[in-house]
Parts: sequence; C-alpha cells; structure tokens
Amino acid sequence: MRGLVLVPVAAMALAVPVAVLANGGGRGFDGVVDVIEARYHVKATKIPFMGLVSFMAHGASHGAASNLHVAEFEDFHADVDGQELDRLVEDRMGDGWSRVVKETSKAGHEQTLVFMRDEGARMGLFVVDKDGGEMDVVQVSVDPSHLDSELGKYTHHHDGKDGDGGTD
Amino acid sequence: MKKIWMVALVFVVLVSVAGAQQQLPAPSPLEKELAAKASDVTEVTLNKSMLGFAAKFMDKNDKDDQEAKQLIQGLDGIYVREYEFDHEGEVTPEKVEQLRSYYMAGSADWQPMVHERETKNHETTDVLMKMVNGEPHGLFVFTAEPKELTIVMILGPIKMEDLHKLHGIGGLGALGGIEKNKPKGGKGDSE
Repeated sequence: MRGLVLVPVAAMALAVPVAVLANGGGRGFDGVVDVIEARYHVKATKIPFMGLVSFMAHGASHGAASNLHVAEFEDFHADVDGQELDRLVEDRMGDGWSRVVKETSKAGHEQTLVFMRDEGARMGLFVVDKDGGEMDVVQVSVDPSHLDSELGKYTHHHDGKDGDGGTD
Repeated sequence: MKKIWMVALVFVVLVSVAGAQQQLPAPSPLEKELAAKASDVTEVTLNKSMLGFAAKFMDKNDKDDQEAKQLIQGLDGIYVREYEFDHEGEVTPEKVEQLRSYYMAGSADWQPMVHERETKNHETTDVLMKMVNGEPHGLFVFTAEPKELTIVMILGPIKMEDLHKLHGIGGLGALGGIEKNKPKGGKGDSE
C-alpha cells in the first residue's frame, strides 16, 4: 500500500522539474537573458548589487527611473540573425510589450530592438542592442512626468557650432 | 435627469475625440515574409501615447528639440517599414502591388501627390496626403526599388515644411534632407 502512495508522489516530484525545464527558465528580463545565453553560447556579465543600483537609481532620479535591470554580454562575436533574435526576445519578454523600433540585419553585428509597455502612470522600456562584439539588454520603468525636470539637469549646451543634434 | 444629460454629453465628447484620432495600420501579412528575406530591416511603430513619451526625452532648452517636441505631441502615429535586399527580384512586382493595395485600402481621404513609375529601373513612388477640412492630417510614402522597399506613414497634423524635424526618429533620417534641399525663401515646396 505504501508503495502505491509513493508512485504518484515520485511522479509529481519528477513532473515539476521537467515542466520547469521545458519552460526554459521563465519569462521577463531573466528569461530574455537566459535564452540569449543558451542560443548564442555567451554569458552575461553579472553586475554586482544590481538590486541596490536599481534602488539608488530610483532615489537619485526622484522616482523617474526604477526597476532597472542591466545585462551586458562581452565578446559576443557570433553571427546574429535579427529576425531570430527578435522572435526569441518577443517569446520570452512577457506580456504587454509593444515593439517600437527594430533595426536588424540578417547576419550583422548591429541589431537594435526597443519595446515599450504601458505601466499605468509609468512607461516600461526594454532595449536589446548589439553593437560589434557587445550586446546590452536593459529594462527600466520610467515616469514620464519626472523626465522633463530630471533630464534637464544632465543636458549640456554647446555653442551650436558643431550643429550635431546628438540624437542617439 | 441632469445627470443623464451630463453622461450623454461626456459620451459624445469622448466618441468625437476618439474618432478624431487616427489609428496606425495593422502590420501587413506580408511583413514577416519580407523581413525574413531582407538583409536589413527597419521597423518603427509609434502610437500617440508612445510619441508623447518619446517627446519627453527631448531637450526643453533646445529650440530645435522643442519644435520637434511640439510636432510629435500633435501626431497620432508614425509607422515606418524599410527593407533592403541583397539581390534584385526578392520582392516581386506582385508582392509590391499587394502591399500597396493593403496600405491604401480605405484611403478615401488620401489625395495622391506623387505617382511615379519608372519601368526601366523598376522603381515606383507614391506619395499621398490625407486632407481634413483642407488641412494636411497625414502623409503616406511608398517607394519600391529592385533591392529596397520603404513605407512611411505619419498620422496627424503635419506640414511638409515640418517634416525635417522628424529626422531624428529611426527610419525617417531622409526627412532631414527636405529642408536642406528646399530653396531658400521657398514655402514648403520639396522635391
């Protein structure tokens, strides 16, 4: 009788990790980083105390920026098909995101994906950018009402001679 | 009874505001196919709320940025699709025609400004302007070349002389050249 009870318990114990593995490590920012690591055999550089950095960014920007996540991939020299990257990211990033900018190439080293998500009074931003041998993945939640005042502090003014808009 | 009238009034106002706002087109069914074949892809889709958000990043102390900000905040949407191909013939004239029909479906308010067909080079250009009460409220540009396809749709009040202000937005860089090409003292007459 005890053996009969053990069978379903053992089955459940096996089923849970199998289901988790099949899901491939979750969704959201971590899911995107995981899938990029797995697909391109690269490793994201861990930024120590990222939670603390995010908290400090929230405080320093007076709430304009919060929920900051950053992952940096160095020595990322694999060829990336922009369409595949877009599909991988969209599959894993979670619900509510709309892609606003996609600048990709078939086997190029410059790929940019920008997503936005309405978060009530705030706006979520999710950026995947590959430039040469480096890729950055950034997620941040921004309060547009604070942006005007906060960005103004960091704006530098030239005398206009260079005429460079510096839009990037 | 007064409350009912108030509710009805608010409803009418909301409906008319919603009606005045233009919607961006849904992505064409051919989009994925084109993107898969293209060597380089640029896609920009910004609706009104996203444009409002993007405008917040502009420098309030910079005159040019402020002009662009005012323009962007008045727009209902920006939609850009640009596909570049390695080889000619990857996008057939039939596909081009399918796409053109898709985007121009239900475009009764759109007035053609440019309709150009170069059979020798297989290049086609269409420029349409949406007119509402005699004022421009949208611009649609569709160009097809053997190795390149560009679709730009800007919805909302827009004047030709203001287009160059949008050059900072991905895929709209060419609009920056409009002012440079404009003859000095000319009033919005572009090429």
